Amino acid sequence: MNDRPAPEKVDPTNCDREPIHIPGAVQPHGVLFAFTEERFEVVNVSSNLPQFAPLQPGDMLGRSLADVFEPCSAAALRAALDETGATVGSLIPVRFAAGGAESVGSIHRHDGLTFVELERQEHDASDAHDFFGRTSGAIKRLQAAQTLESACAAAAAEVRKITGFDRVKVYRFADDFSGQVIAEDRDQAVESFLGLHFPPSDIPAQARKLYCLNPLRVIPDIDYVPAPIVPNLNPLNGQPIDLSLSVLRSVSPIHLEYMRNIGMRGSMSISIMRGERLWGLIACHNREPRQAGPDARQAAEMIAQVLAWQIGVMEEEAVTSQTLKGKAIQRSLISDIEQLHDHRAGLVRNSAALLELMGASGLCLHSREGVTTLGATPPEAAIERLVNVLGRAEGTELFQTDRLSALLPEAAAYADVASGVLAVPLSRSPPRRVMLWFRPEVAQTVRWAGDPDKPVTNVEGELRLSPRKSFAAWTEETRGRAIPWQSHEIAAAVEIRDLVTGVILRNTEKLERVNSQLARSNEELEAFAHVASHDIKEPLRHIEAFAGMLGESIRPLGDERLSNLVGGIESSSRRLRNLIKDLAEFSQVGRRAKPLASASLQQIAEEVVADLHQRIEETAATVEIGALPDVHCDHNQMRQVLQNLLSNAVKYRHPDRPCHIRIFTATLGEDERRSDAAQGAATRICISDNGIGFDPKYAGQIFEPFQRLHGPDAYEGSGIGLAICRKIVQRHGGAVGVETSPGLGSTFWFTLATPPETRTQAPERSQP
Amino acid sequence: MSPNREPPAPIVLVAEDHIHDKIILEEVFSRAGIKADLRFVGDGEQLLDYLNRRGRYAEEGAAPTPALILLDLNMPRLDGRRVIRMMRGDETLRHFPVIALSTSESQKHITEAYSIGINAYLVKPANIPDYVAKIASLWQFWMATASLPVVETPPP
Repeated sequence: MNDRPAPEKVDPTNCDREPIHIPGAVQPHGVLFAFTEERFEVVNVSSNLPQFAPLQPGDMLGRSLADVFEPCSAAALRAALDETGATVGSLIPVRFAAGGAESVGSIHRHDGLTFVELERQEHDASDAHDFFGRTSGAIKRLQAAQTLESACAAAAAEVRKITGFDRVKVYRFADDFSGQVIAEDRDQAVESFLGLHFPPSDIPAQARKLYCLNPLRVIPDIDYVPAPIVPNLNPLNGQPIDLSLSVLRSVSPIHLEYMRNIGMRGSMSISIMRGERLWGLIACHNREPRQAGPDARQAAEMIAQVLAWQIGVMEEEAVTSQTLKGKAIQRSLISDIEQLHDHRAGLVRNSAALLELMGASGLCLHSREGVTTLGATPPEAAIERLVNVLGRAEGTELFQTDRLSALLPEAAAYADVASGVLAVPLSRSPPRRVMLWFRPEVAQTVRWAGDPDKPVTNVEGELRLSPRKSFAAWTEETRGRAIPWQSHEIAAAVEIRDLVTGVILRNTEKLERVNSQLARSNEELEAFAHVASHDIKEPLRHIEAFAGMLGESIRPLGDERLSNLVGGIESSSRRLRNLIKDLAEFSQVGRRAKPLASASLQQIAEEVVADLHQRIEETAATVEIGALPDVHCDHNQMRQVLQNLLSNAVKYRHPDRPCHIRIFTATLGEDERRSDAAQGAATRICISDNGIGFDPKYAGQIFEPFQRLHGPDAYEGSGIGLAICRKIVQRHGGAVGVETSPGLGSTFWFTLATPPETRTQAPERSQP
Repeated sequence: MSPNREPPAPIVLVAEDHIHDKIILEEVFSRAGIKADLRFVGDGEQLLDYLNRRGRYAEEGAAPTPALILLDLNMPRLDGRRVIRMMRGDETLRHFPVIALSTSESQKHITEAYSIGINAYLVKPANIPDYVAKIASLWQFWMATASLPVVETPPP
């Protein structure tokens, strides 16, 4: 710390840079030797050696291991080194060749050196049986725990029993490395820290890194005087001695100040590792200096390890049961989607289970076909904006947040339903589909152990970082935050996505298959109808001719009965001929189709009126053509549609009033627009008359081929005209319909897609 | 040729496969008051046999030269269109006036017929009076208005 240049600005992140692994000193409750690995010659020793043996540090350099320790101890150390090869070995009783009390030695290799650290045997060497008995009992009690919390509580209790500290707490790291005390065992006289949160800066990055390398950190007395290492130089690399794996390592003065602040003078911390990850710590504190002996430390370390396994098993069990639950829901979802033939309906049916599985309160499936929502979700307009924002920012990747309003300020308005968002895209390329899972705001009240923002204090005119003085619980309410998405939940969301996309893909393929089959059978049917009508025409023509000739032969005879009979044959064959002609025409709609092109509906309507002018004049009808847009259509077919509808309007005029027909475009209502949304902007063309109208209950039926509401004697026609209209409009991707009132008139309408380039022009055209 | 004997009725060769069409056509000619000698062949092959006087028409007098040929375009075996193409490619047959009889009103069919060398295209009406009127006017045109080619009967 002394040689650190005084920084211009000090903030808690500077703490992260404090080089705590090379303090150049050890704590004085033990002595540290560093030997070369090859020849076991002393290269460094801590200056407190005289307190352990009648030896001077300066005399030790260059001496061999066998010189320093009495033969049995030297042999044991050599054997342990040969045997383990590991960084940290077992504890070995050691005596110096020069005399002194027996110490307990532990050895480790690091940075090319072999370290031997000796501590005084505090009490009579506890027999192995006692150690084993204590530890195995503790482990059994730990393993009996049913929940994570009770396992941690048991670990805290066992460690306290073994080490005798005033307070033992189990501290768990969150993803942001802030921590929370989740279990505690303490002397009633000390303050409870249970449930308190600690900011990440309390255990800075390099301290966490050391905890990963070396599971143990011991400070028997915070008021210790550091014993410098002589010399503080690794001869192999010219660097200060790296004490990362040392148990005697002298700690950061900042940490000692921290200890003073919480009123503790002795401490010990043990890492809880889940694989490579520092899951938490077992942290022991004592009001008075306290040294846990090497045995006790080893027992505590073992308990931490068992706890880590226990946590692992419990977490895996939780994930497994979650996975099993997820699989069951997926099976149910698949079977429902297949049964209902609709992935949205399948999601809706399984909504409760899905939301529970994901720990979500709402789900939304957003696609071009529309928005399907389950549970509690933001309003649709908000979803649209959210999807747009995510679409820009995230592309095809998953997106997750537990604090949406931090990214999208407007989301604060619906924080109560969607503070947490997990967006899973269903498609890589447009049209984009996305599944959005929502979590509500959890107005968490976090009790910090003191103000989490460490104050920067000014000591002796120098900017210096100091841990906070006050540890009174400092509560902070977090708003706009949801419970973070866990990795297994994200995995489940991806699985559900894959399942739904799989179904969509299968359905699309099925639809394409059915479509092509349908197209084929349609073509066949049209070809059949064409050929059939052609072949039927021949004999029919003969019947008609023969009947005609027979009639001409019979009529001069004056037999009315015979004339009527022949007349029946003649008129029936005439009707049949018309039916066949219409059927042929109907079957030709698809066969004669031309590619769609932009055309002026206005012009087509005017042409049709011109074509029908004779009929219009005969019936004294008036036809009014409003402003009609340009549409994407087959010109001839569109002409046929208008012609059929217009001639129907003339045909079914009301006998008691002049026939008035209007052709105009209508604005679509909200609902209709939505249902037409898949076709882009649509125009509705209406042909409205003041004719006889009909009962609206027939409105659907009259578009079927050969459906007639009147007998052939009242009105001519085979009833194919409207069916042809519908077929043509459907081919154009539109729909047909009619609104009618008996005796008042009918409005037949059809919708057509407006070509994109003319959409903006449409309003201009309607201006005079 | 004696002036007080009636001239022989012009021969109209009709290629028509269906018996009903034959009956109807005879009836229509009769009702139109046309005195014509209608000779029927059932398909294109027979038509060519007749014109070339071979096969069953090889016998002397079995195939008198027609003034007009009425041809159904849809016939079995040798189809009317192919017959026309063959006739128009044959030095000895290409001069015959050929009238197509068809039920098809399709523009495509009509255009095609003219383009391969038909002299007139006539849609068969279903209605007898219409049919009679059409045949009467056809007859009027070809037999009175138009002048027909006269070709020496080639030696057998």
